[in-house]
This record gives sequence, C-alpha cells and structure tokens, in this order.
Amino acid sequence: MRRLLALALLLQALHVGQANAAKHQLLELVVSEPFIEMHSGPGRGFPVVYVVGRDEVLTVLFSRTDWYKVRAPHGAEGWVRRADLARTKLPSGEPAPIPPYPEFASHRWEVGAGYGVYNKQNLVTTWVDFAITDSIDVEGVLQQALGNLDNRYIGSIGLRHTFVPEWKWFSPTVGLGTAYQHISDKVPPAPLEDNNQMAYVSVGARGFITRRFMWRADWRHYVVFNNLNVNEELEEWKIGLAVFF
Amino acid sequence: MENRLSSILLAAALLSGCGWFHRGDKGPKPVTVEEPQAEPSIVEPQVTRREVTTPKIKSKDFEVGAYAGALSIQDFGVNPIYGVRAAFHVTEDFFLEAYAARSKAGQSSLEEVFPDINVLSNSGRQFTYYDLDVGYNVLPGEVFLGRGRAFNSALYVTVGMGDVRFANQDQFALNFGVGYRVLITDWLAMHVDVRDHVFESSLFGVDKNVDNVEATLSLTTYF
Repeated sequence: MRRLLALALLLQALHVGQANAAKHQLLELVVSEPFIEMHSGPGRGFPVVYVVGRDEVLTVLFSRTDWYKVRAPHGAEGWVRRADLARTKLPSGEPAPIPPYPEFASHRWEVGAGYGVYNKQNLVTTWVDFAITDSIDVEGVLQQALGNLDNRYIGSIGLRHTFVPEWKWFSPTVGLGTAYQHISDKVPPAPLEDNNQMAYVSVGARGFITRRFMWRADWRHYVVFNNLNVNEELEEWKIGLAVFF
Repeated sequence: MENRLSSILLAAALLSGCGWFHRGDKGPKPVTVEEPQAEPSIVEPQVTRREVTTPKIKSKDFEVGAYAGALSIQDFGVNPIYGVRAAFHVTEDFFLEAYAARSKAGQSSLEEVFPDINVLSNSGRQFTYYDLDVGYNVLPGEVFLGRGRAFNSALYVTVGMGDVRFANQDQFALNFGVGYRVLITDWLAMHVDVRDHVFESSLFGVDKNVDNVEATLSLTTYF
C-alpha cells in the first residue's frame, strides 16, 4: 500500500514537472511556405493529419530526433519534419532558429560503446571523448574484458589525434595514453586479484554514418608495468558506435 | 583651420591638466555644468532597448525507466526479475540502450530430485546483468483505443552484449530482443520486451551455451 502511495506521489511529481515545463515559454514560428504538413507521429511513415497555411503561427513544443512536435493555431498537434520547420520564420521575419546539426568535424563531445577483443578475451567497451581542437581529443575509456581464466576492468585516459577531421566517411587516428587494469582470476581454488599500471599506443579510424551517428575502430598495444623482469605486452582491438553533441 | 587645431589642442591640454590636478582627490567629484533651464518637453522620449530572447526548443531524445518481469534461467526455473533501462534515440529508426537487472535463480531439477545436492551457494544464485544494445524500430505505427484515441507505437528489435554475473562468475553474454513500445503520452511509454541472454556456461561440467529468456513490462519516461 505504502509503495503504491509512493508510486502515485512520484507520478504526481512527474506530472507537476511536466506542467511546469509547459509554462516554459515556447517558440512560435510563422509558416512562410504555402503550407506545412503535420504528421501523426515522429517518423516518415506516419500520415499527414493536419496542414497549416502560410502566415499562420505554429507553437513548437519539443523535438524528438529529427521531428518537432508543434501546435497549430486552433490547438491541433502534430509532428513536423526538421527540414520543413527550418523553412519557417520567426515573427520578426528572421529564419527559424532550428539548432544546426552538430558539426561532424568540430563537435565537442562523443559518447560510444562497442565490442572488442582484449588479450584474447571478449571486451565490452564504453568511451567518452572531449575534443580540444578539431583534430585532438581527450579520450576516456572504461571497459570490461571477460575471459575463461580471468575478468578484467580496464580504465584508460589518453590523447588521440585525428589526421583529417574533415574527411567524413573515413579518417585515420593515432593515440597515446595511460591505463590501469584490475584482474580477478576465475580459476579456483584461490581467486587471485591484481592491479597493473599500463601505457598504450593506438591506431584507428572513424567515420560518420548519419548526421548523429559515427563508427570507430581501434587497435591498441599495451605495455603492462608489472613486477617481473620483462614487461608484459597486450593487444586489443575494438569497434563501436558513438553519438556526438 | 590652424585656429581650430590649436583650440582642440588647447582643450586637450586643459582636460589633461584637470586630470592631473584632480589626481590627489579622493573619489571623483561630480562635475556640474550650469545649463540654462531646459524647456519642459512635450513628448517624453521613452526609448528602451527591447529584450529579444528566442525560446529554445527542448529536445526529448532520452528515455529512462524501470522494468519487471520473469526470467527463465536455464536449468534453474523461471524467476522474477527487476531492472532499469536508459535509451538515447539517435534517429527515428535507431536508438542506443543500456539495461541493468537482477534476478535470483531457483532450484535446478537436479536439486529438486536430490534435495541434498546444492549446485549453487546462496550468493551464487544471484543473476545480475548489464547490457549495451543497439535498437531498430522495425514497425513504427499507431494503435487505437476506441474512436477518439491514437497512441504512437513501435515494434523494435535490439541486439547487444554485456556481462552476466551468475554462479559468482562474470560471463560475456550476447542478447537478442524484440520489444513493443506504446507512448501513452508524449513523455510516458510502456514497453513489452522479450530478450534472450546467451552465454557459455560450464556449471554442469560441460561447456554449453545457455539461453536465458526474459519477458518484461517497462514503464519509461522521455526527457
């Protein structure tokens, strides 16, 4: 019963949040083409359910992917394609302030995940990139390697250079950085734990699939600083998808 | 011309001289200039700069929520499962999603037949996973409730990978899923999902791929 009450309160709070958001001032745009089409959903297959004519005012409620939910003068609501909304105007006559796509060559942030092989173990990898310049990034990687003998967590931070950032489909990269790994042995009877400092060099490539999607592939060579006379060396490759902002 | 130039120079010298003179003063003195009383103007000019702020469009591409359902752990029966999920909708077709959930295995058939045998310890029965998935909206559309209500919906498929922790061991697991999403409002959605987590297990002595199928109901919110 108490749980139900808590859930009801949570939903109520969410609803109040939504109501407050609705009070937030909304963007109004004037249709400057002969007409603009409103679809019933945010996708190319949804039928056109309403048409707004020239000089009428649309209220933009929010966006989802490449679609904008708008309200027509008489209260009808529907979804307008980004490209269509970009052809409307502000009441002052200026072009509609539809935020541009993040520039593929000069975006700031990138978040991605992928699959790889690390020391012959399956690797689940995630990363966050921050671009200092168009061609130099700071990359932070957090990954888990799952094998038959042991499992490892690997964290790394490094710099990466993209050779020709303006090449859209394929652009080679090189990187350099430091890493840390935590190993826990799976083999019984006495599970062993170990931590190592590492350094890596990497060679890779990246390319853009759509305006908001990119792929990235990477090969890394690690040097593990251990207590033995000879440092251990490990290899890793991975491929993944990322979005950028 | 020369006259004007010299008068400008003189004025400049005078001003700088004044500056020099006032250097020792504490705080600037208000300079009062005697002006003839201005005629009261008929029209008071009230020109203020108009603040033009264009409201920003909010994007609602993120989706978070929780789910509950049943997980069939191979050889260990069907058990309740609870999890959380977070998605980012990249395009109208694709989304990236992360899941994390927990369940607890029941008794295997072996244990049921021979109650003295314990295949797993109590902590080993915990079944925890995380997944990173790519999803594709295969069949977007609308569902209708009576005459006047339509809800946006989509049938989607997901594929991904992650870590399953079971029997006190982490295993690399692939997952394949089919889901159906209905948007009750613009910010609230309900999902029904069926997903299979496949990983290699040697719990019963032989290496084999085990299928762990879950059926869940989710409630998510967009922001």
